[in-house]
This record gives sequence, C-alpha cells and structure tokens, in this order.
Amino acid sequence: MDLGFWPLAIAIGLPFVAAAGMPRLYPLVGERIGYLGAAVAAVSFGLLGTQIGTEGSVSRPWIPSLDVAVRLHADGLALLFALLASGIGILIFAYATSYMHGKPDLGRFYMALLAFMGSVLGVALAADLLLLFLFWELTSVCSFVLIGYHTEDAESQYSARMAMVITVGGGLCLLVGILFVAIAAETAGIGAFDLAAILERNDAVRVALEETGLFTPALVLLVIAAAAKSAQVPLYFWLPRAMVAPTPVSAFLHSATMVKVGVYALGRVRPLFHGTEWTSLVATLGIATMAVGALLAVLARDIKELLAYSTASHLGLMVAAFGFRSRYGAEAGVFHLLNHALFKAALFLVAGVIAHEAGTRHIDELGGLRHDLPVTAVITALATLSMAGIPPFSGFYSKEILFEATWETAQTGGGVAWLYPAAAVFASVFTVLYSLRFLWLFFGDRPDGLGSIHRAPGALVVPPAVLAGALLLVSVRPSAVIDLIVNDAARATAVGVVDIHAGIPRHVSGPVVMSVITVSAGFACFPFYTEIRGILEGVSTATARVHPTTVYRSTLGTVDRTSRLVRSRVQNGLIRTYVWWLLLSACALTAAGYASTAVGIPAPAMAETPVAVVLVLSVAVVAAIAVASAESHVTGVLTLGILGFMIAIFYILGSGADLALTQLVVETLLLLIFLLVLEEIPEFYGELKRGRALRDAALSVVVGTTAFVSVLLAAPERGADPTPTAVFYVTNAVPEGGGANVVNVILTDFRAFDTLGESIVVIIAALSVLVLLTMRDRGETQ
Amino acid sequence: MTGTIAIAPVVVALVAGTTTLLARRWPRLQQTVSIGSALAYAYSVALLVRTVVFAPDGAAIAYQLGGWHAPFGITLVADALAVFMLAMTAIVAVYAVIFSVRFIEAANQRVYYHPLFHFLLLGVTGAFLTGDLFNLFVWFEVMLMASYVFVSFYGNSEHTAAAVRYVVLNVVGSALMLLGIGGLYATTGTLNMADMAQQLAQPGVDIRPVVGLSAFVFVTFALKAGLAPFQFWVPSAYRSAPIPIVAIFVGATKKVGIYAIIRLYFTVFGTANVTVAAPGITGRSPLVLLAPVLLTVGVLSVLVGGFGAVTRDSLDGLFAYSSIGQLGFVVIPLGIAAAAPSESLRQSGILAALVFALHHALTKSVLFFSTGVIRDATGTTRLSELGGIGKRSPAFAGVFLVGGLSLIGIPPLAGFFGKLFVFNAAARQFAAATSGDIAATGSALAILLVLLLGAVLTVLYSTRAWMGSVWGHETEAVAMGTIDRVEVTVLATLAVVVVVVGVGFEPVYHFADAAARAAIDTEAYTEAVGVGGG
Repeated sequence: MDLGFWPLAIAIGLPFVAAAGMPRLYPLVGERIGYLGAAVAAVSFGLLGTQIGTEGSVSRPWIPSLDVAVRLHADGLALLFALLASGIGILIFAYATSYMHGKPDLGRFYMALLAFMGSVLGVALAADLLLLFLFWELTSVCSFVLIGYHTEDAESQYSARMAMVITVGGGLCLLVGILFVAIAAETAGIGAFDLAAILERNDAVRVALEETGLFTPALVLLVIAAAAKSAQVPLYFWLPRAMVAPTPVSAFLHSATMVKVGVYALGRVRPLFHGTEWTSLVATLGIATMAVGALLAVLARDIKELLAYSTASHLGLMVAAFGFRSRYGAEAGVFHLLNHALFKAALFLVAGVIAHEAGTRHIDELGGLRHDLPVTAVITALATLSMAGIPPFSGFYSKEILFEATWETAQTGGGVAWLYPAAAVFASVFTVLYSLRFLWLFFGDRPDGLGSIHRAPGALVVPPAVLAGALLLVSVRPSAVIDLIVNDAARATAVGVVDIHAGIPRHVSGPVVMSVITVSAGFACFPFYTEIRGILEGVSTATARVHPTTVYRSTLGTVDRTSRLVRSRVQNGLIRTYVWWLLLSACALTAAGYASTAVGIPAPAMAETPVAVVLVLSVAVVAAIAVASAESHVTGVLTLGILGFMIAIFYILGSGADLALTQLVVETLLLLIFLLVLEEIPEFYGELKRGRALRDAALSVVVGTTAFVSVLLAAPERGADPTPTAVFYVTNAVPEGGGANVVNVILTDFRAFDTLGESIVVIIAALSVLVLLTMRDRGETQ
Repeated sequence: MTGTIAIAPVVVALVAGTTTLLARRWPRLQQTVSIGSALAYAYSVALLVRTVVFAPDGAAIAYQLGGWHAPFGITLVADALAVFMLAMTAIVAVYAVIFSVRFIEAANQRVYYHPLFHFLLLGVTGAFLTGDLFNLFVWFEVMLMASYVFVSFYGNSEHTAAAVRYVVLNVVGSALMLLGIGGLYATTGTLNMADMAQQLAQPGVDIRPVVGLSAFVFVTFALKAGLAPFQFWVPSAYRSAPIPIVAIFVGATKKVGIYAIIRLYFTVFGTANVTVAAPGITGRSPLVLLAPVLLTVGVLSVLVGGFGAVTRDSLDGLFAYSSIGQLGFVVIPLGIAAAAPSESLRQSGILAALVFALHHALTKSVLFFSTGVIRDATGTTRLSELGGIGKRSPAFAGVFLVGGLSLIGIPPLAGFFGKLFVFNAAARQFAAATSGDIAATGSALAILLVLLLGAVLTVLYSTRAWMGSVWGHETEAVAMGTIDRVEVTVLATLAVVVVVVGVGFEPVYHFADAAARAAIDTEAYTEAVGVGGG
C-alpha cells in the first residue's frame, strides 16, 4: 500500500481538533468525555496501523519561501513510536476516565492530554525540521500544563516551571542545532529544513557540516536538547518532580512517550552524526544516566519517584544504545523503546492503582499487596521482571543486545572502552534491585500500618492488563513483533544492515556472562537492600551540594539576586544617574566616530574672531559657571538670564537679527516663568557630595568639548560656496515663494510641513497644561 | 498623482486629532470618531501596503510636499520598510483605541485623551514616512510631547515623577539629535535623506565627520527605543501611562527608534564613502563602527531587561523590563547585519529584526492589554495580590497563554518566527565566523550564548507571570472582581492575529523580506525620492 498524506495528517490532526473542542464538549458530556479521547487515540492508532510496512515522505506546502512544508515521513521507527504513543494513548484515556473521577478541570485536562498526543505523533512523523521543532515544543507546553494540573499547589507550580525551563531551554539548543544543520543542508544544495532529504543524503550534509565547522556544535546542541527532553544526566532532575501530575499523565508523558522524544530524535539523526565523537558523547551520556538513574531509583522512597528514576535510567539505556555505532546499538535502542514503553506504562498504571486503593505511595508503608490486588500482582510481576531484564521476559532481550553493543565496542576500542560494559553491568545490577523492590510491594510482608485495601475497579486494571498482555506476547514470541515492525524501525536508524535476534542465548559469550553477573548479583544483593540504600543515602547526603536540583535552585537564586540588583543599582530612580549615562555614551560614541575616521580637528580661527564676540562669549561662559554654582534659585535664574542674553547678543553680532529677537523673547519669558514658580520649589535640595560634583564637572567638560569639536568639524570653510539648497531657496524665495524674507518663506512654504508639525507640538503643549491641571491628583479612577 | 496616497495616513491621523478635539463636548461622538479614525487609518495603511508591496508592480512611492521637489522641499517616502512599520502601528492602534474606549474611565477619556492619542499616532506616522532628517526631528517632538502628557496623564506623584524622568532624558536626547542633524546638514549640505545618501557616496568629498556626528542621532534613536544604557525611562513610564498607550509605546514609538536606526544607517549612511579604522575593526562604511555598538547595546538590553523582569512584582513592571530585553533581540540581529560581510547575511539580519519587532508589537500588546483586563477586574497588577484568574475566566487564561507562549517563542505563534529569524541570523554569523579568527568566532559564540540566556530568562519571567496570576489560589482581589467579557473578546481577536501571523507566515515573510530589501537598497530609495541618477 502506498503512503498517503491524509492518513498521517488526520492521525496527527484529529487529536488537536478534539482538543480544541474539549472545553465546549466537556460541559455537555461530562466525565465520560475521556472515552472520546480513547476513541480519538484509537482512530489515530488504526490509521497509523494501516501504514505499517510503508516507507516514504509526503508533503504539503506551508511557507514556500522558506522551504518549510508540512512534510511527513513514515518508516519503521516513526510508525513504531507513533503507534506506541497512540496505542498507549487509548489505554491512558480509558484509565483516566475512571482514575480522574470527580476531579476538577477535566475539560482542560483532556484538552492538554489530547494536544499532547497529537504533538508526539507529530514529532514521530515530521520530516521537516521546523515542523519537528513545532511539535517538540508543543509537547513541552502540554507537559507544563499537565504537570501544573493542581494549579493551586505550590509544588505543582514549581515542578511545572522547572520542567518548562529545562525542556524549553533544551528546545532552544535544538533550534540552534536545527539551524546549523539547515545551513549545512543549504550548502549541500538540499532544501534547508527537509529532514527526509537531509537523512537521505546524509553524507553530503555531513561533509558540509564538517566544512563549515558546524559538525561538533550541531552535535553538542542536539544532544543537549535530547538530554533535556529525555532526562539525561545532569538534566534528569525535572522528571521525578514531574510526578506531581496525576498518574495517567505520569504514565503517558513522563514514561512512555514524551520523555522518549529526545531518544527518538537521537535515533533519527544518528545516521547523520554517527562516528567517534557521536559515540564518545552519546554512549557515555547514556551509560552515565543509566547508572545514576538506577542508583537514585534504589534510593527512592516513593513508588512514583522510583519509577521516575528508573525511567531516566532506561532512557539512558536507549541513548547509550543509539550511541554505539554497531548494528546492535540501533537494535537495542529501538527494541528497548518498545519494551520500556510497555512495562513502564504498565507499572505507572499499577502505581496509580496502589495509590488509589492503598492511599499511600510510600514504599516502606506498602507490602503484601498480592492478597488484596491479585490481578495487579500478576501484571506487576510480568512488568518488573521485564524491567529487571530477567530471561525470558522482553526486557531481557533488548538489554542483552545492549550488552552485545557495549562488548563489541569494548573489544574494538579497547582500553577505557571496557568501562562501557562494566558500567552497563553495574547499572543493571541496581536495576534488578529496584525492580525486585517494586515487586516486593506485592510479595513481601504486609506492614502493620497498612489499612484495608479495596479491590481495584476493572477500569483501572484492564489498561495495565492489556499492556501486560503485550509484554507477554513480546516475551513469548519476540520474533513476531520484530518481524512486524521492530526490525524495520532499527533499519531506519542503523548505519548498516540489521538483523535482530531475540531469544535465550545457547552459547557462552561475553554479553551472556554480563547478563549472568547482572542477574545473580542483583538477586544476591536484594536481601541487603536496606543496607545498600543506607550507603547510597550517605553518598547522596555527602554530595548534596552538587546535586543538579541544588544547582538549579541556587542558579535561580542567583538570577533573582541579579534581578534585584538591576532594580536597585541600575534603575535607581535618580535622574542624575540616567542623564549621566546618556551624555557619557553620546560623547563616547561620537569621540569613537571621530577617532576611527581620523578626522583632523581644525584649529578655531582665533585671530579672525572679533573682540566683541570673544567678550560676549566669555561673559556667557562665566554666567554658565555661575548658574551651576549658584547658592539660591533666584541667583541661578538671573545668571541663566545673563547667559541667554549673551547668546542673543552673539546672534546680533552674527547678523542674525530674527534669531536674536526670538532668543530675547524666549529668555524673557523663561525668566518670568521661573520667577513665578520659584515660590513652589523647595529652597534646599540637600548636600552635594564633593566627589559627585567633580564627576559631574568632568562630564560637563567632556560634553562641552565634544559639542565644540563637532561644531568645528561641521562648520563650512570660510568662503565656501553656498550649498545648492541654499542657492535654490535664495533664488526661488521671491518668484516662487512670494516672500522677500528667505527664512519666512522656508518656514511657511518650502518647509511648511515642519511648521505644521511644530504647530501641533504647540497645540499638544497647550493640551498638556490643561490635562495636568484637570487630572491633578485624579489618579486612575475618580 | 500616484504619490498622494503616501500622505494619506498622515492626513487621517491629523484630521482625527483635530476632529476628536472638536468633538470633545460629545463624548459618544468623540469615541465613535476616534474608533472610526483608527479604522480609516488602518485602511489607508492597508491601501499603502497593497500599492507598495503586494501589487504586481509594487514599488516605493514618494510625495513631494507643497510641490517642492526633493531635495529642496520635504518628501514623504512610502517604501516597503516604512509601510511595514506603519502596518504594525495600524494593527496596534486600532486595538488601542477600542481598548481605550472600554478601559479608560469615561471622565478621563474626556480630558483630551482621544486628540492626544491621534496626535501621538500622527507623530509616529510622520516619523515613519518622512524622507527628511529635520522633519524626522519634528515628528519626534510631536511624539515626545504627546507621550509626555500620557506618562503624566493620571497626575499622581508617581506619574509625575515618571514623566519628569521621561521628559528630562528625552529633552537631552532632542538636544543631541538637533546637534547631530545640524552637523550632518553642515557637512553634506542637505537634509533630504536620499540626497544625503548620494552626497555621502560621492567620491572625493570629505565626509569623515559624519561617522562621529551620526552618533548624536543614534543615541536619540536608542533612547526612543529604550535600549540599554538608555533604558532608564522605560519601567516607570510604562507603569504610569494608561495601558492602551503603553501598547502604542511598545508597538509604535519604540519601533520608531529601531526604524530610524535602520533607515539612517543602512539606507543612508550604509553606502557612505569613508574609511573607518579602529582597533579590531576596519572597513569602508560607517556600519563597521555601528556593528559593535549595536551588539553591545543589544547584549546589555537583553541582560538588563531579562534579569530585571524576573523578580518584578507588578505585571506591567515585568512586561516593561521584558520589552527592554526584547528590543535587545531586535537590535542584536541589526548589529549582525551591520557587521555582515555578505549582502545576504545583512538582509537576513534586518529581516530578523523586523520580524521580531512585529512579533513584539503584537505579543506585547496582547500582554499589556491582558494586564489592563486584570487591572480593570481586580484593581491591581501586583502578582502578590493576584492568583486563580484561570478558574474565573478560562477564556482570558487562554488569551494570556497565547501571549505568554508567543513571548517565549513557541511555534507556530508569531513569536516563534521572531525567535527563529534572530537565532538564524546569529547561527549564520557563527557559521561564517568559524572559518575566521578566534576573536570573530568568540564574539559570534558569545552572541549566541547571550541570546540563549535571554530566551531562558524569558521563559523564567513568563512562567512566573502566568503562575502568579492565572494559577494559584484565588485571592480576594480576584474573587471580588469580574473579568470584562467584551474586553476579553476584543483581546481574543488580537490573540488570533498572533496565531494567524505565525500559521499564515508566508505573506508576512514576503512583506518583511521586501522591507528588509528596501532597507539596504539605497538606489531604489533615492530613485523613488527622485534624486537618483544624479
């Protein structure tokens, strides 16, 4: 069957349409609206299911000028991820309808959940870098809204904001990384944002990336983005905090789908970036996360927290797998993507059942639940054993392939590369430990404090049971699933040929030994769980200062302190400071302009200056100094008057009679107005500090010098011809303008538009007086 | 005369100001005239946009006032860049008038609010359209005077204090600008910008002082745009002015500063025939010196605005600081454009600045109007006194969310494309610099990092604004108030514009791209004015 645009577009679009309708529908339908969500997910799932086995891209234009289009691409990997999201979506909506019974704001809740599902499907199927980014960011936004479901709860708010900051911050890195790739793609002659084409011709793009020196920057940025989204070290800390969201959200977003978006993206770009740098960055990051996550999961006291850290650890496993270059890397990553989604979603739903029925999520308060929740116990057994990687459960197969990948890398790399298998085994031992601990909630002894536990309603048990059924299928008949989709999916991300084998190993080999060590050490250590946890707690307390959460908190603290500093130091409310910076910057920039163009400063023609001008200007300078140092307002105003009148005389000496008249009028009015308002002004402003006065004096000298130099530079040479404009005005004033005074004709005719503007300024000034008087003390309301 | 349409928006705003002044005895009539005028203004701008950009034979048009041909009279020039700015202004202006009628107390509206509003709009319009340097100064004065009244409008001590700060800084700025214009006129012998560009490009004329003299004008533009270290007036002025006017400040008057920088430096000074040599920078255009200045100013703005916004208690204060930071995002790509070695990078830098400016005008309007709705309902904008609005009015919460997400730059909203283009310019600069020396790579990397930091700070303060007002426990102030449904409906349509600009980005891109090309096409500009070809 050919790949169609509409099945994919509808699969992505329908959840959004349904989401948009939610606020209107919810009041009509009520809580059962959750089943509508399940139906939407089922439609998407069905549509995607029809596309299994197809491969290719389809597109519709969006922004042709930028070569951005709604490009969708289906292949094994995309479909596997999309089917997981929609398939688990069906179960989550069904589960949520029962779980969220009686909770407030369900319209908004389902709206965000549906939009979220659409976004994940979009990420899975997008074959345009900008489209991918769009859906990527939307998953972050939906996650923010859903983590903050309890809007009044301070902890929810804190966690939602943390998730937003980390994932959107990571998104910024993704954006820049995408732009780097786009630049390289353009260089290689490929449509900038066409991901499918870029991957198809990944060699050319890679060469372009390396030639432009953008390979490493792009790689690092994309890895940071994926690490933020997929909770890798050290950006994992938002994930456990995201557990304040209702359990269906945790199961859907924060275990099965959204957090895998980063892993998925790494899988997608793997063929473009694979190589030594890729392995040393991605595989190391993944293995480190795998170990840290597992250790933290052992430390956890809350079942959802345990599962959250475990999720981080398993995401690390997938990231690590994608980090290894061999075919095993691709196989392990993809296969574990499927297995983890199944067992972790099931376990979260189980955690929801426990919290719902037992009323607590505290690990130490729970135990022996198998008597009360027998079906759930079976589901849990399947899921935890798969999570622990115990043969013959599904998780074992994918983990075994990862071991093969690490082993192979170590053999070819040698030396430090042996740390990969060592660390993988180390992390896996702890995985076995915490998996058993979770299982022990059902099979251990029942603590005394635990109250009576209700039998879980069917609606809460069926969804995890379906997942457990799927797990059983993968465990018993792995080849069926592999042939159906997993092999295709691995091929999409692999560099070479893939051929997944899943089964119980029959020969002793390095990876098999690794598995044997893992399982036996895990079981051997389990009796000492409390002691191990004690040791880890000690380590955790000792390293508290470098915990990412602590770093995050203290960084936010620093930001807040800087913010207050901006308020108190920069925006200090003093006009003096403000004007100081304005003048200083102006002078500095002007001086820089003169210096960089090497203008020679012409000497003022002192000899040619008439004595009268020198005299008048000297008086003006003296008056200016007197204004600045005047003791009282009256003296200040009067000396200011002297300054003004000297300038008027200067105009007269320069034969600017009309200017002089204007100046005289202005000065007289100013003097009068000042004298009138002086009464209202306080006599005394306070002490002027000596240092400040000196600083201001220095600045005024700088300003004066700059202005003086500017005038010298701009003044036309003596005897220079008048400009064409001046000649035009003089020639045309009488015949065309009809006025003998050129200045008048300029003001009223040649440049009358200026005069119009200035008249409006005068009108506004008049209005401003009226406004100030009318609104005096009126405030914003009467 | 095809050029007549270029003056249409100016005439509409002028008539609007006068008519509303005359109609002030009849408040209803005044409001109707005011809204009608704003719509007429938008219509005239739309006509201009069609003629200049979207018509098959679209080209810049000029109107020679009084029939005095350039360079002797004053010329209005409507090219793609000018009409882009006008279009942005028109959208914000229509919403601002409608919102004013609903939001400002009826008694206060009667205190010359509407005439002043249209005169402010007139100043902005004149500044965008004029092709004459001194005339630009005149429209700056009109804008300054009108904004001054609005900052002090409410007349309490804090408003007066803000107005004094505003007016002192701007009067100093005006003096500097006048000094600069005088110097430029004396050096080049012309005030007509197209003519000036030609004079500057001529070989053999000593125009070296222009580089220094233009700094005076630059400082005034930066002051208008509220860029650090000239941002001091912004927070208090924004908190004092009536909220619909703040939208005009954000959407229009600040953008006048940005427009003037682009117009003067890229169109007029860009082709100047002058050698600039300073430590680390050498080149044959005043732009070489402008580049580090713009980048520094931009980086400072991003930091001061971004950090400043994070802990502000009032929403309007928070958004005021935010707009300082966001203007940094406009100026940094301009700096990249000024430093650009290639024409294409120069154009993408300007394009980024324009797209971001458009997004900022629309998004910030949504957010400031939202702040207005909140104040109207609760009587406060303090986050410490707010909370739980989302439960009271999910519709309002939806609008506010669109504004906040656009501010953060979430696709497919308008803000995303702003962010995309700014980062694109920075990424391209980085890509071009990787083959260069360490200093170039380092500075390109530093700019990318500052942009990233600025964007993360935006997430921090936007989420804080959201959680402090829409989420959280319902406070007494919120419980007592009612959210005005009409205001929310009007606001929702503006939020739709923010979405539509993003989803239907193709024509917006076409428009902004034409504007960016017009900004660096000095030849087309001088030709339109009619001084081209010698």
